[in-house]
Amino acid sequence: MASEPTNLLQGTLDLMILKALALEEMHGLGISRRVEQITKGTFRVKPGSLFPALHRMEEAGWLTSAWGESDNKRRAKYYRLTKAGRRQLETETERWGRISLAIARALEAS
Amino acid sequence: MRLLSRVKSFLRGFLHKQQIDAELDDEIRSTLELLTEQKISEGMNSKEARRAAGIELGGVEQVKERVRAARAGAWLESLLQDVRFGLRMLRKNPGFTAVVVITLALGIGANTALFSVVQGVVLAPLPYPEPDRLVAVGESNPRFPLVAVSYPNFRDKQRIARSFEQMAAFGRQGYNLTGPGTPEHLDGKEISSGFFSTLGVKLTLGRGFSPAEDVHGGAPVVIISDRLFRNRFDGQPEALGKSLTLDGVAYTIIGVTPPGFHFEGDADVYTPLGEAAPLILNIRASHWLFPIGRLRPGVSVLQAQAEMSAIQKDLDQIYPDADRDLGMAVVPLKQQIVGNAGGTLLLLLGAVGLVLLIACANVANLLLARSAARTHEFAVRSALGANRTRIARQLITESVLLSLAGGALGVLIAFWGVSRVPGFLPGRENIWGASRFLPRSENIAVNLPVLLFAFSASIAVGILFGLAPALKNWNVDLQPALKEGGHGFASGHHRAQRVFVIAQMASTLMLLVGAGLLFRTLRSLWEVNPGFDTHHVITFRVGVSPSLTNTASRTRIAYQQLIERIRGVPGVQAADFTDVMPLTRQGGTMPFWIGSQKPASLQAAPRLVTFLAGPDYFQTMGIPLLRGRLFTSEDTITSPHVVVIDSVFAHLYFPNSNPLGQTITFGFSPTPPCQIVGVVGHVKDWGLQDPAANVRNQLYFPLYQDPDPWVADNYADLRVIVRTPLDPATVMPAIKPAVYEAGSEQPVYDVQTMQQIVSASMSSQRYPMILLGVFAGLALLLASVGLYGVISYSVAQRVREIGIRMALGAERWDVFRMVIGHGLRLALVGLEMGAVAALILTRIVSSFSHLLYGVGTNDPLTFVVVSVVLTVVAVLACYIPARRAMRVDPMVALRYE
Repeated sequence: MASEPTNLLQGTLDLMILKALALEEMHGLGISRRVEQITKGTFRVKPGSLFPALHRMEEAGWLTSAWGESDNKRRAKYYRLTKAGRRQLETETERWGRISLAIARALEAS
Repeated sequence: MRLLSRVKSFLRGFLHKQQIDAELDDEIRSTLELLTEQKISEGMNSKEARRAAGIELGGVEQVKERVRAARAGAWLESLLQDVRFGLRMLRKNPGFTAVVVITLALGIGANTALFSVVQGVVLAPLPYPEPDRLVAVGESNPRFPLVAVSYPNFRDKQRIARSFEQMAAFGRQGYNLTGPGTPEHLDGKEISSGFFSTLGVKLTLGRGFSPAEDVHGGAPVVIISDRLFRNRFDGQPEALGKSLTLDGVAYTIIGVTPPGFHFEGDADVYTPLGEAAPLILNIRASHWLFPIGRLRPGVSVLQAQAEMSAIQKDLDQIYPDADRDLGMAVVPLKQQIVGNAGGTLLLLLGAVGLVLLIACANVANLLLARSAARTHEFAVRSALGANRTRIARQLITESVLLSLAGGALGVLIAFWGVSRVPGFLPGRENIWGASRFLPRSENIAVNLPVLLFAFSASIAVGILFGLAPALKNWNVDLQPALKEGGHGFASGHHRAQRVFVIAQMASTLMLLVGAGLLFRTLRSLWEVNPGFDTHHVITFRVGVSPSLTNTASRTRIAYQQLIERIRGVPGVQAADFTDVMPLTRQGGTMPFWIGSQKPASLQAAPRLVTFLAGPDYFQTMGIPLLRGRLFTSEDTITSPHVVVIDSVFAHLYFPNSNPLGQTITFGFSPTPPCQIVGVVGHVKDWGLQDPAANVRNQLYFPLYQDPDPWVADNYADLRVIVRTPLDPATVMPAIKPAVYEAGSEQPVYDVQTMQQIVSASMSSQRYPMILLGVFAGLALLLASVGLYGVISYSVAQRVREIGIRMALGAERWDVFRMVIGHGLRLALVGLEMGAVAALILTRIVSSFSHLLYGVGTNDPLTFVVVSVVLTVVAVLACYIPARRAMRVDPMVALRYE
């Protein structure tokens, strides 16, 4: 059995959402599934955290949303990255790289 | 960019709230649908799938609530929501709302009113440009830290000093106006040229005095107040250049002060200082002027003080006779004007703050009781997705709404209170240096800073008492609260309520003790023997017609005739003149020496207080003769010079010898050495409290031996003193025609009874006592309501228990005693704590103020009386709930549950 899905670390949620939306527009549930998939089930985003984050990021101008139809003809709200969102993804990625490198080094040091 | 985008969405959320909410609802619901379909496609049946999807989503309402909370405008939106809900709750309970609002209005109102006094008197800067650069410049001698300055010294310092941009001086002076219009006595000032420009005050019309006008023999010119300008000249600019007859001299009006201009006492006319008689102006040892200065930018008070001291040292060398041992005092003008009023006001502010805390405790108790009844409501809201912070915020919003309403009503109370201040204060102010209760009282108003204070006090108070129920509800267990179905109560409330009641009782006791001690002080002061008979004495002043006083000898005759006419009025038992009334703190001191041994310097010479007195003065005032004789009509300008001294003088300087026949010489008087012919009883001149030793010994000059050059000024200051069993309203109408006989231009003014003067001399204790008394009464009322509320609540909560007790055989009286005992225990604990705090506080307060007289800080009588009063009130407050408990019907009480 796989280990329990870890709750998303504070601050990584935004990065995960940006990354999930980098390829194509998606609705809320889709984002949630995509994050689970790209982290191989390590992270699971609960709707209670996801939707507030989506609305917050939309207010910040990183995302736009529009109503559309899902694969099985259901009405759903789709989110898409804006230019500012892509820039934010780059900065966040770079920042995360620096942090993880730093932590890896710290752990290697004896 | 990010900020802009947030602002935009904030506005959008604000304007299209409904639409956005609907969209959010759609979004969450469609997600739920998608999730359900997904579950079905994974093989669940539709019912199972719906359930699983619901669990995974975590509740549509909860998710929506979290999204709303994450939005930019969330705080404002929820605030508005809270406010709307709060207003609805408060409207639903008008009785509760009214009680809370009135309680808070009393507390906030009293605080706002007192703060407006503190703001106007202590905090507000002086109403002149760059007030921080204004200083009072005085001289000091070994006895007094700041004394008035002589004219020659002022002119020398004004000329030499470099620390000041400008320096000016003023002296107080009364004038009798005889035209145009009806004769009137006016308060005025003699000012040096540059007085208004030093203050930075621009005259609304005309100009200030030129240096050429500020000399003896200069053209008589006058600056008038806005009040006089409006009353006598209809506010017409043509007033400039017109003439005003003051003390028989026609002055030309050259300026008008701005409306509301006020500087150290009222003044309607200003005349040039340099015009005064050269004889008085040129005496270097006669200190009667008050200089003010505007420091150059960047010059500190200390630097100015250092420079002035150096200048004074030089003057010492040049004029050793008058100036040796004289120092200089440069004091910020505001400090000089405010004096020691700040300490008393701070004390009162502390007292009134205590009243507000008592009011807060009451309201917190009421809210606690109500929140117990609302436990069910909060549980339902939690279940519907509200978190604890949200509910706490709701509660605090409600209490802030209450306190703002109370604050608004309180501001109205403050307006009313402050409008009563002028009528409440003693009429005459003393010039600076002498203490008085409220300087700058003209500055007291409910203005913007005061309103800001009331507003922030209301918000702070609302949060303070709102916290109690909010914290109480922090850890409410949902299950039992929901089950209770609205009848829940949490027992933890009782402890908080008890603590509040005890604190209220303790605070009230402290306030009562303070008021009681001041009351006892006033009683002791009234019992002090002032050295004369304060009953049946009326005093007033007369502006004797200038046409009768153009020479010294004619002046003496005019005054002699005047007093004879007054003595002839039916009902007048005795009457005579003096220049200074005892207890008014307006007398001056004079250096003197006994025999022929002149001291090294005038400043080092001992001082005495001098009075001018007519032959009948002692009899009129009821001052007893102890040795020798009093003045007679034989003591005139041609007979040998004589004086009468008081018993303190005799005791200090002639402890073992006979003072009669000894001679006294005066520092700067044209009078030759005088022989002591009599000793009279000491009069408490400076105040009923023990004065500083150096203002004690008194000496009386016979009025009709006053030297010629001084007559004009000294006689103009005389007061008539009349002993009569009649009250002023009866006797004054008879006296006035007698005064007017000599000419219709003689105003009679400043009528006071001796009792009024005595009572005004206690104003620095009387007004704090009245205020503290009001505050203590308010505290007593609030605390008894608080105790009543808590006991009533506990009886209501314990109806079942009481029913069981009765069913088990408890007598009605047992129940009654139980309830009263419960309240009384709380009151007594509060009483003890309050007594300890009061003992400590009164000791601290009396160590830096001199409010108390004739009563110890731990006066047992005060403490006992106050404790008894508080206990009785506590029993009364418990009486009604105790009666209610007594009448509980055990059957009804048990069936009810």
